[in-house]
Amino acid sequence: MRRASSKKASSNSTTSTNSSAMDLFRSATGKAATKELERIDQLFYSYSNESSGMIDPEGIEYLCSDLEVEHTDVRILMLAWKMQAEKQGYFTLEEWRKGLKALHADTIVKLKKALPELENEVRRPSNYVEFYSYAFRYCLTEEKQKSIDIESICELLELVLGSQFPQQVDFFVQYLKTQVDYKVINMDQWMGFYRFCNEISFPDFNNYDEELAWPLILDNFVDWVKSKQS
Amino acid sequence: MKEFQIEAVKPPKLVGVEVAEKSWKILEHQILVICNHNKSNHSLDLEELDRNAYKMAWHKCGEQPYSGLVSILTSQLEKIATSLEDYDGALFLEELVRKWTAHIRAVEVIRHVHMYISSTNKTKCTYVQIIRNVHMYMDGSYVRTERTPVHELGLDLWRDNIVRRFKIQERLKYALPELVQRERRGEVINRGLMSNFVKMLLFFGTPVYRNVFEAPLLNVSHGFYRGESQLLIKSRGCGDYLKETEKRLSEEIERVSNYMDRMTERHLINIVVDYMIQRHVNKLAHMKNSGFIGMLMDDKYEDLARMYALFKRTPNGLGVIRKGIAAHIRNIGTQLTEPERLNDPVDFVQGLLDKRDKYDKIINLAFNNDKMFQDAFNSSFEHFINLNPRDPEFMSLFVDKKLREGLKGASKEEVEIVLDKVMRLFRYLKEKDIFEKHYKQHLLKRLLANTSVSEDAERSLISKLKTECGSQFTSKLQGMFIEVKSSGDTMKQFYEATGHELGDGPTLAARVLKTESWLTQSTTTCNLPSEILTVADRFETYYSHSRKRRRVTWQTNMGSADIIATFGDGQKHELHVSTYQMCVLMLFNSGDGLSYKEIEKATNISTSDLKRCLQSLACIKGKNVLRKEPMSKDIVEDDMFFFNDKFSSEFYKVDVGTMVEFEFEEETRKRVKVDGKHEIEAAIVRIMKAQRALDHRNLVSEVTKKLQSRFSPDRVEIKKRIESLIEREYLKRDKDNSELYRYLK
Repeated sequence: MRRASSKKASSNSTTSTNSSAMDLFRSATGKAATKELERIDQLFYSYSNESSGMIDPEGIEYLCSDLEVEHTDVRILMLAWKMQAEKQGYFTLEEWRKGLKALHADTIVKLKKALPELENEVRRPSNYVEFYSYAFRYCLTEEKQKSIDIESICELLELVLGSQFPQQVDFFVQYLKTQVDYKVINMDQWMGFYRFCNEISFPDFNNYDEELAWPLILDNFVDWVKSKQS
Repeated sequence: MKEFQIEAVKPPKLVGVEVAEKSWKILEHQILVICNHNKSNHSLDLEELDRNAYKMAWHKCGEQPYSGLVSILTSQLEKIATSLEDYDGALFLEELVRKWTAHIRAVEVIRHVHMYISSTNKTKCTYVQIIRNVHMYMDGSYVRTERTPVHELGLDLWRDNIVRRFKIQERLKYALPELVQRERRGEVINRGLMSNFVKMLLFFGTPVYRNVFEAPLLNVSHGFYRGESQLLIKSRGCGDYLKETEKRLSEEIERVSNYMDRMTERHLINIVVDYMIQRHVNKLAHMKNSGFIGMLMDDKYEDLARMYALFKRTPNGLGVIRKGIAAHIRNIGTQLTEPERLNDPVDFVQGLLDKRDKYDKIINLAFNNDKMFQDAFNSSFEHFINLNPRDPEFMSLFVDKKLREGLKGASKEEVEIVLDKVMRLFRYLKEKDIFEKHYKQHLLKRLLANTSVSEDAERSLISKLKTECGSQFTSKLQGMFIEVKSSGDTMKQFYEATGHELGDGPTLAARVLKTESWLTQSTTTCNLPSEILTVADRFETYYSHSRKRRRVTWQTNMGSADIIATFGDGQKHELHVSTYQMCVLMLFNSGDGLSYKEIEKATNISTSDLKRCLQSLACIKGKNVLRKEPMSKDIVEDDMFFFNDKFSSEFYKVDVGTMVEFEFEEETRKRVKVDGKHEIEAAIVRIMKAQRALDHRNLVSEVTKKLQSRFSPDRVEIKKRIESLIEREYLKRDKDNSELYRYLK
């Protein structure tokens, strides 16, 4: 397998479109900051694809192995969130800069060290809703796509809520895989489930009222669990 | 000094080298003559030539001439080259060709001479051959195919001295394509000249041909077709443009076959295709009014076929048309299925069939039955046919109409054609089960009322459905046929066995059907008039007697009767009525002026059925065999009914409505549900638009209130509609209050 060393050769390639932005950066911040930015950019180029100018899925794999993190790990998703990356599997220079600058990481080592802190930050309740909603949007790959297929949703749920609400996720995933009414999940249903996990007592559902505005899929889910329990 | 007498020695006989020298000088001269294509004294030259050649051969000296030849030819060619530079344009080409032809001849002659001279085994017999060949070649009618050293020499020398000479080459590179361009612009050119030139260049091998002729030609061709296409695309519609392109293409192909080497054909075609078509593919296809959409609408098969053939030459052209057609079909299909247009289901389905036929024809005539086009077409059709959830029902209605009326008097082939077309549409349906459901109901009606035009047609369609969907789909349908048939047999047997007992009573035609296949409703009964009861009971006895352990129940809501009624002025009419109607009418045999309550009691018909029945007998113009007081439209409990003496109709047989009234519960329920969806959604939107923000509980109660006069909406359905509206961004949930909805649009 090709190692990343060959990819690090492009340290001398110049940015074509962003030189003016760089200049602004330079003039606005101090010398140390400039150095940091340069290192961030260099780090970017060591993973990016020459022809597209972005880090593509292959580059992300390299990044993950350098960070010693599985590329299916939720922390990569969190990193994407920090960067506000738009397209799943790709990081642009702007996004990279945004993320790494915010994390004060300009080398792989620093980035690696920043990950636990990032996780804490994301897991704060105020941020988690945003992260949760971002995770859904991130998986919408086609233009005008509004829903995600059941298979992918189950994986995403595990990834994003699996550690926090293992039981609910477990049951819900089971339900999703066995039911036939829904082939896709939309944003409203996705967010509804998060609220569900946070507010509804499990597994008794004592405070669940289907006369309220819960999405229908959750009404059905509750019915399904109750029928299994009886 | 001694005096010697030197005898005059005879000059030594010219031998070997000297002979050769002499002969050679003569030969040289003669060759020069030939090179200058001096055609006079042809034969003389030849004889001399031969004699000298013969001599030289005899004396076995073949080496010398070779180098001599080289020098003669080279100096000759130098002269020719210089002279050629004085010419220009067409004259240049003509002169060149002339010199070339002469040169070839000379080379050929020399070759023979040389062969003659240098060979050691020349005998007289071959001598004759040589002479003959040389003659032929002088006439220019002999074309050599093999190469010999002299031949090669001649060609090499010509190539090096003439063709490769810079000025000449440059002139050639310009002049040859220029002629082609002139021909392209419509002038007549000297094709023989061109052909000779090409042959000459080909003599020197493909690289020379390519370098001197083909490459410059392709170069100017680029420019020509670039200009041509830009000019035409501005001024012509698509059809005309493509006609021009086709013309140009065939011109180029013809041109190549006439005076170029075959290898050039491919390149020229590519150029024409690239500039005329490839670069304008999208523009041409989507040209307003004349692009492929216009062609499709006007059934311009020829134009479409041309477009197909031409676009096929490009890598992506067909894809463009195909996608365009698919989108177009989807669009018009989607328009066709818009709810407002769906007034007449039968017309609608006929329209679909017509559209399908139209595109079938187009794909056949214009697109060469291209499978990818078939597929694109099928998937577009499939897409829009399934847009409207009522399409399966409409198709069943269409088939129903055909089987009741449309196929009347049609030949077997015609029937098959229509049914096959219907089947093709059927294949597109996703909800085949819904079709089956409706089809079963329609078939039931047809069988019971005996309104089917042809039993063969019915069977044929069922077997087609079976082929398409398997026997499970059609087993119940086939069962229905069998039961109707066997009922007919049963009746025959019944009358054979008991007819004498029944005498003059009403004639019974009972259909005995197995409960599960037919019934979607619960059984209802009523009180039958006594005359009917007699024969009905008789039948019941007969039946249970002949088939043990089987129970029959009369389905009074499904039957019909034919009654002869006598009216006031003695007018008789035969009335075709439903069983219920019959029960009601028979009451008036024993009395007039019956109240609703009395009728109800006597007949024991359920309220809703009775009301409908009385309405059809008393309130419909032209069919009002009963008179109602008061004359209102609705039936209420206090109404009084009288036999309408004054009833009249121009027809003897009057159809007072058979089973038209009888609607399947399920159908009604379903229809209500389908409409319910739209109604609920409309109500939600109206309420939210007014309120801008409302919580879930209140929204549900408002919607229910709004619709309560029509039906009671299902709570689940309301939630479904809300979620659909959220997805379509009409509503959104409030960020902080999860129970609150906000109106967005």
